[in-house]
Amino acid sequence: MAKSNQAVERNVNWIIHVILIAASVVMVIPFGWMILTAFKTVTEATQIPVKVFPAHPDFSSFKKAFEKTDFTHYFLNTAFAALMKTVFPVVFSSMAAYAFARIKFPGRTVLFFIIISVMMVPNPVFYTPQYLLLSKWGLVNTVTALWICALVSPFATFMLRQFFLGISKELEEAAILDGCNPFQTFRYIMLPLVKSALVAIVIIQLLWSWNELQWPLIINSSPDKLTLSSGLATLVSMFSTNYPILMAGAIMAVIPMIVLFFFFQKRFIEGVAFSAHKG
Amino acid sequence: MNSRSRYVWAYAMIAPTLLGTVVFWCWPAIYSIYLSFLKSENFGMSNHWVGLANYQKLFKDQEFWHNLRNTLYYTVLFVPVTLVLSTFFAVLLNAKIRGQSAYRVIYFLPQVTMPAAAAMVWVVLFAHDYGLINYVLGTDVAWISDSRFAMFALVIVGVWGAIGFNMLLILAGLQGIPKALYEAASIDGAVRFRKFRYITLPLLTPTLFFTTIVLMIGATQIFDSIYLLIGKTNVALPDVRSLVYAYYQNSFVYYDQNYGAAIVDVLLVINLILTGLQFAFQKKWVNYD
Repeated sequence: MAKSNQAVERNVNWIIHVILIAASVVMVIPFGWMILTAFKTVTEATQIPVKVFPAHPDFSSFKKAFEKTDFTHYFLNTAFAALMKTVFPVVFSSMAAYAFARIKFPGRTVLFFIIISVMMVPNPVFYTPQYLLLSKWGLVNTVTALWICALVSPFATFMLRQFFLGISKELEEAAILDGCNPFQTFRYIMLPLVKSALVAIVIIQLLWSWNELQWPLIINSSPDKLTLSSGLATLVSMFSTNYPILMAGAIMAVIPMIVLFFFFQKRFIEGVAFSAHKG
Repeated sequence: MNSRSRYVWAYAMIAPTLLGTVVFWCWPAIYSIYLSFLKSENFGMSNHWVGLANYQKLFKDQEFWHNLRNTLYYTVLFVPVTLVLSTFFAVLLNAKIRGQSAYRVIYFLPQVTMPAAAAMVWVVLFAHDYGLINYVLGTDVAWISDSRFAMFALVIVGVWGAIGFNMLLILAGLQGIPKALYEAASIDGAVRFRKFRYITLPLLTPTLFFTTIVLMIGATQIFDSIYLLIGKTNVALPDVRSLVYAYYQNSFVYYDQNYGAAIVDVLLVINLILTGLQFAFQKKWVNYD
């Protein structure tokens, strides 16, 4: 009886692996095709019947992507905007989250509600007024426009507050007795305790900023003020069938986040899992 | 330290976030509603009040109803497929399986990929004559330029991108279910499927509820993949154009920001209704112990 159960268990495991591997193949095919196409010639990329492997793989498309487009600008703009959209929101949100979680002050509930209420609003609702505001400030078509509206993050404030709520009171009380002011208590006692949450939020903010499309597309149109995301979208019309160049650009645009993901995949996954539990 | 100075510290610490939220988010949300009651001449200049005129025009516009239908159709296709597949893979990965973290990384990879880059390769994969998909399946379908198939192409790309993230959410939910429940069921001789049906699924409903809401809100805002995959001149565009795409076109291509504002304000109301309905119906299927 026990023996046959084990045999069933083995068979089931085997079937599970077959399904998981088949699904993995489907998930990675687009990446494989991206890489293969980038090394093909233009004719090979659109050949009929389909040619899977390039006859003479060459790197020239990667070079051309830099030479024939503003790729360097896209890259620098994206990196700078992502940095700003990560550092400021994380610093501001962690301070606000601590105050909301740990200090009872008049108006706390109302002010917190004001901040999180915008989380329910679809993003496009904000875009036109934000555009008008930035155009009044003369910021349309500038690199600043890419990040200024994302200086603060209601989402990060909400997530970090959940973390601070989960920490026990004793350490904090000791700090207060020692004469720390609330900012010092936050900075030296509480912040180190939520370090892992901070790392997760930093990664998520970087990822979102890096990949965002609609806002950069709306706010900037000069080629040297585009991001990788909006830049790639305009390259599609410039090089409509030069797929090797397009794919070379795509690969270079995704590599930084994929590298980041591989180094921090545990944190990424914890960050996602966390948002489910406390959401 | 007295409580008054603690208050001052608290206000100082929330000030940047509060100020930024009010200026960049709260005020725009309110202003967007105000804009939808105006008619502007030169993008933001010389506004005048027209009351409900933009909404009247919107509700009489066949294209609006078509876009609304497309948006809901996408949502109705995308959400259940993503939910079922994500749950399926989460359950498989929750078993003691070798290489678990490798699978998780692979399924999550599309989530990390820039939508603009992913869409470009999907265009090549979906291509009618030299595309890998037709080649492998032996089909002869113009996936992204045939009105009958373009929506499915969008759903395929959407599901591909969403499985990893949602699978992780559900996996986290599964790992929160106490093991002791399964042990008790094993002694009673319960088989796999019955365990799933009577233990896993009921205890997973809070996670599934949260996941459904997030998926639905995301799906009603579909824009990136239509913009990138379908493109401006595609004949199939009218049959996949979403509300957000129409918002973008009206506000930033035709420069009618008031009409555009009316479109996204309708979307806001739709989202509030959908979320409200979810909360109203949750008693019927969500199981909080």
